[in-house]
Amino acid sequence: MSNEARQEILSSIRTHLAASAPFDAHEYPVAHAEVQPAQPLVSNVVELFRQNLEAVDGHCIIAHSKGEIAGALTQIISALQKTKLGAQRIAISDAPELERLMHMTDLEIEELGIAPNASDIFNFDVGITTAQAAIAETGTLALDSTRERHRLVSLVPPVHIAIVDAATIYATLGETLSMLQNGKELSPAITFITGPSRTADIELTLTIGVHGPQEIYVIINQPS
Amino acid sequence: MKVSLFVTCLVDQLWTSVGVSSVEVLRRVGCEVEFDRRQTCCAQPAYNTGYLKEARQVAQRFISIFEESKADAIVSPSGSCTAMVHHYPKLFAGDAEWLPRARAVAAKTHELSSFLIRVLKVEDVGASWKGRLTWHDACHGLRDLNIKSEPRTLIRNVRGAEFVELEHADACCGFGGTFSVKYPEISVAILDQKIDAIERAGVDAVVSGDASCLMQIGGRLSRKGSKVRTMHLAELLSRR
Amino acid sequence: MNHLSSETFRENARAALADEQLRGALKNATSLFGERRKAAAASLPDWEELRNQARAIKDEVLGHLDKYLDEFVRAAESRGAKIHWARDAAEANAIICGLAKELKARVIVKSKSMTTEETHLNTALEGAGMQVVETDLGEYIIQLADEPPSHIIAPAIHKTRGQVSELFTAELGAPPTDDVAQLTGTARVTLRDRFAAADIGISGVNFAIAETGTIVIVENEGNIRLTTSLPRMHIAVMGIEKVLPRFADLDVFLKLLPRSATGQRLSTYQSFITGAKRHASDEGPEELHILLLDNGRSRMLAHPVTRQSLACLRCGACLNVCPVYQQVGGHAYGSVYPGPIGAVITPQLMGIEKTAQLPYASSLCGACREVCPVKIDIPRLLLHLRGEISERKGSASERLAFKLWARVMMSPTLYKLSSVAGRVLQRVVPVSKAWTSGRDLRPIESRSFHELWSDE
Repeated sequence: MSNEARQEILSSIRTHLAASAPFDAHEYPVAHAEVQPAQPLVSNVVELFRQNLEAVDGHCIIAHSKGEIAGALTQIISALQKTKLGAQRIAISDAPELERLMHMTDLEIEELGIAPNASDIFNFDVGITTAQAAIAETGTLALDSTRERHRLVSLVPPVHIAIVDAATIYATLGETLSMLQNGKELSPAITFITGPSRTADIELTLTIGVHGPQEIYVIINQPS
Repeated sequence: MKVSLFVTCLVDQLWTSVGVSSVEVLRRVGCEVEFDRRQTCCAQPAYNTGYLKEARQVAQRFISIFEESKADAIVSPSGSCTAMVHHYPKLFAGDAEWLPRARAVAAKTHELSSFLIRVLKVEDVGASWKGRLTWHDACHGLRDLNIKSEPRTLIRNVRGAEFVELEHADACCGFGGTFSVKYPEISVAILDQKIDAIERAGVDAVVSGDASCLMQIGGRLSRKGSKVRTMHLAELLSRR
Repeated sequence: MNHLSSETFRENARAALADEQLRGALKNATSLFGERRKAAAASLPDWEELRNQARAIKDEVLGHLDKYLDEFVRAAESRGAKIHWARDAAEANAIICGLAKELKARVIVKSKSMTTEETHLNTALEGAGMQVVETDLGEYIIQLADEPPSHIIAPAIHKTRGQVSELFTAELGAPPTDDVAQLTGTARVTLRDRFAAADIGISGVNFAIAETGTIVIVENEGNIRLTTSLPRMHIAVMGIEKVLPRFADLDVFLKLLPRSATGQRLSTYQSFITGAKRHASDEGPEELHILLLDNGRSRMLAHPVTRQSLACLRCGACLNVCPVYQQVGGHAYGSVYPGPIGAVITPQLMGIEKTAQLPYASSLCGACREVCPVKIDIPRLLLHLRGEISERKGSASERLAFKLWARVMMSPTLYKLSSVAGRVLQRVVPVSKAWTSGRDLRPIESRSFHELWSDE
C-alpha cells in the first residue's frame, strides 16, 4: 500500500510540476524596515553568551577552574535546597567529569542518579549535564546525543544545570550548525536549549517552566 | 511637462472636486494637463472580484486610449487605481500582443503625490490650510507603490497646517472594494479601529490619497456625527 | 462555538464580532505578536535578504519536490527511520492507527501539529479505542474544551484565565484560581503522568532536511522534547512540502521562523532528529516513523501562483497583521488554517465548493504579503482563487452585473450615462443597503468630472 501511495504522490508531483510555468516572484517594493544594530558589539563571545542567556531568564556563572565549577554547583544546589524544591535528588548525565565534580562539592543529598532511565527520571529535582557547544548570539546550548546521555536529564527535572567549555562557544547560529555537521554524520538527536521552558498560551501571560525545566543555570568553564 | 489626467471613475462620479483640485495643483507646478474624455475605469472592481475576462476587456480599453496620448506621464489622484494599472502586466502574462503595451502604459502611470515628489521633484506646491490634520496610508499606494514619505512631505509644507501622525496610519480602513459590501459588518468593524484612532488624534481633518478610503472613513464619521472632515490630498494641496 | 464550518463564514464572523471578550483577546494577541515580530525583524540588519534567501530555497525545493523528497526519504531510511506515504487524510490516519494497534498502544501523547489537525487524527485514534492527549498547553486546553485551535501559534488565545480555570476544575478537579502560573502548574503535573504512561508520541515537523534525513521540530514548552524522547515509538507527521535541501539552510529558516511567530530570536528548544537511535542502550524511542502526507498538496504545484502556498512556514505572522483576522479570529474560518494563509490554503485543500466565501474574506490590503517570511503573495493568491470561483461557482446575478459593468466601461456613450450605470449596478448588486447599514453613502455628483471638463 505504502509503495503504491509513494508512486502515486511522486507521479502527482511530477505531473503537476510539468504543467506549471515559472513564477515571477519578488515584484513588490520592499518596505524598508527600520534597521537597528543587531547586537551590542561585544567581541567577547563568553560575555555575549551570558548577556543573551540572561535576557531569556537563564542564569550564567563563569568559572576559571574545576574548583570554581564545584563551588558554583555547591552554591546553586544548596540555595535550591532552601526552597520548596528541596533539591535532594540530583540526576547527572554519564559525562565522567560530572561525577568527579559532584564528589568535589560538599553537598549533602539524598540521591545521586547517573543518567536515570525514563521510568526513574521523574523523581529527580535537579539535572546536571555538560553541553557540547553554545551559541553566543542567542544564549543557546547545543546538546549532542552521541557524546553524552543527557536527553532526559536536561529535560525532565525542574532545574537544569549545564557546564560548557568557553572554547566551544560559537558566535553565531550559522557557525554552530556548520560545526555540528562539518562533513561528519549528524548525531541521531541534537537539542538546542535557549533558557527555561516557557509558554504564553493562557492570556499571553509569560509563564516559565511549563513542561521542561523551570530554571536553567549555565556554568562556563573558562580556565584562566 | 505634459500630463494626461486619469481621474478614476469614482472621482468622476462621486468626488469631482478631487479631479478639479488635481488639475489646479498640476497646473500650478507648471504642467500642461490634458484629459481624454474617452476614459472610464481602470478595471479594478472586476479584477478584485475575480472577473478576469471583464477586467482584461476594460484594461485593454484603458491601454488603447492612453497609449495614444503624447503626454509625458499619466497621473492619477489614486494609489489604488494607479496600482491597478501597474498590475496590468500580470493580467496579460504570456500575451505577446498586450503584455508589452501593458508594460509601457504602466511605466508611464503615476500616483499624484509620487509624481510630484519623484518625477517633478516638487516638495512644496504653495498650499495653505489652517487646522490640525492627519494622514491615512491607503493600502495599495503604500504596499504596491511604496508611497509613504511623499504625501507626508507635501503635507508638512502646507502653510498653516499642523500635521500629526495617526496611530496605525498604515492599517487598512476596511474598504477593500467589493469586500465592503460582501462583508459589511467586518468592513465596519475594521473601519471603527480607524475611526477611534482618528478621534484620538483630535484633528480637524483626515487626509488620504484615495477617494475610496475617504468615502469609507467619511461615511462612518458622518454616521457617527463626527466633526472631523475627510479631504483628499489633491484638495488639500489645491488650497491657497 | 465548537467546530464551525467554512460554509458559514459570514454567520461565524457575525457571531465573533458580537463577542466582546473574544475581540478584546484578539486585539491583545495580534498587537502583541505584531509588535514583537516587528522589533525582532528590525534587530537583524539583513531581514529582507533573509526573506529572499528563504523564498529562493523554497522555490528551488518546490520546483524539484520529487527529487528532494526522494533524497530525504533515502537519507532518513538509511539511518533507521521508517517512512510512510499517505495520499490523503484517511490513509494517514489508517497508517497511524495501524501502527498503534500493532504496538498495542493505549496512551498516545501528541505535540502540536497542524497537519494532524488537518487530518482529524485524534478522532480516528479515539475511534480505535486509544487515549490521545494533546500536550502543548494551548492545545491541551482546547482539547479539554472540545474546540478547534483559533490561532496557529496560540491555539487557545480566545480563552480567558477564568474559562481555563473553570475547565480545569470541571475536567481535572483542580481548585479554581486566576493565577496563570498555577493553571500552568496543574497542566504540567497532569500531563507528566500521561507522558510517563504514553506508548507513542506523535509530533509534527517544521523542517525536513533532504541532505541528512533530519527532521527539525521547534517549540518553547518542552512538550515536543518529552513527546519525542519518552515513549517507545515516535511518529512524526509532515506535509510533503516541508523539505529543505541542506542542513545549512536552517541558518536562514531558524532565524526567520521564531522571529516571525513570536518575535523570539530563537525558540526555547529545537530538536534535530536524524534517524532512529543507533544502539539499543541509547536514550530515546525504539522506533521512529515519519509519515509524508499529500492530501491535496501536490495539486498546488500545478500553477505558479498556487504553488507559493506550499512555501508557508506556519508562523502565523499574517494572522496577526490581517485586519479581518484581528476582528473575527480563527474559528470563523471553519478550518484549522485561519487568517489570510488559511483563506488560500483551505479552499485548495478542501476544494472551493464549501469554502468559496474564504477568498473574499480580505480587503486585499497586502499587510500579509509584507510580513510573510517567505514572501508569499497572498493577495495575488486570493485573486487567483476568486477568479476560479467566479468561473465555476459565481452567482448568476453577480456575473451579469460584471458583464453589464464591462459593457458600460467599454463604451464612452454608455459611460456618459454613468449615473445610470451606477444605478444599474446598485440595483443588480445590493450595494447600497450593505453599505448604508453602517456608513452614510456619498451621493452621486450632479455633474461628473467629464461634464465639468467639457464646460471648461
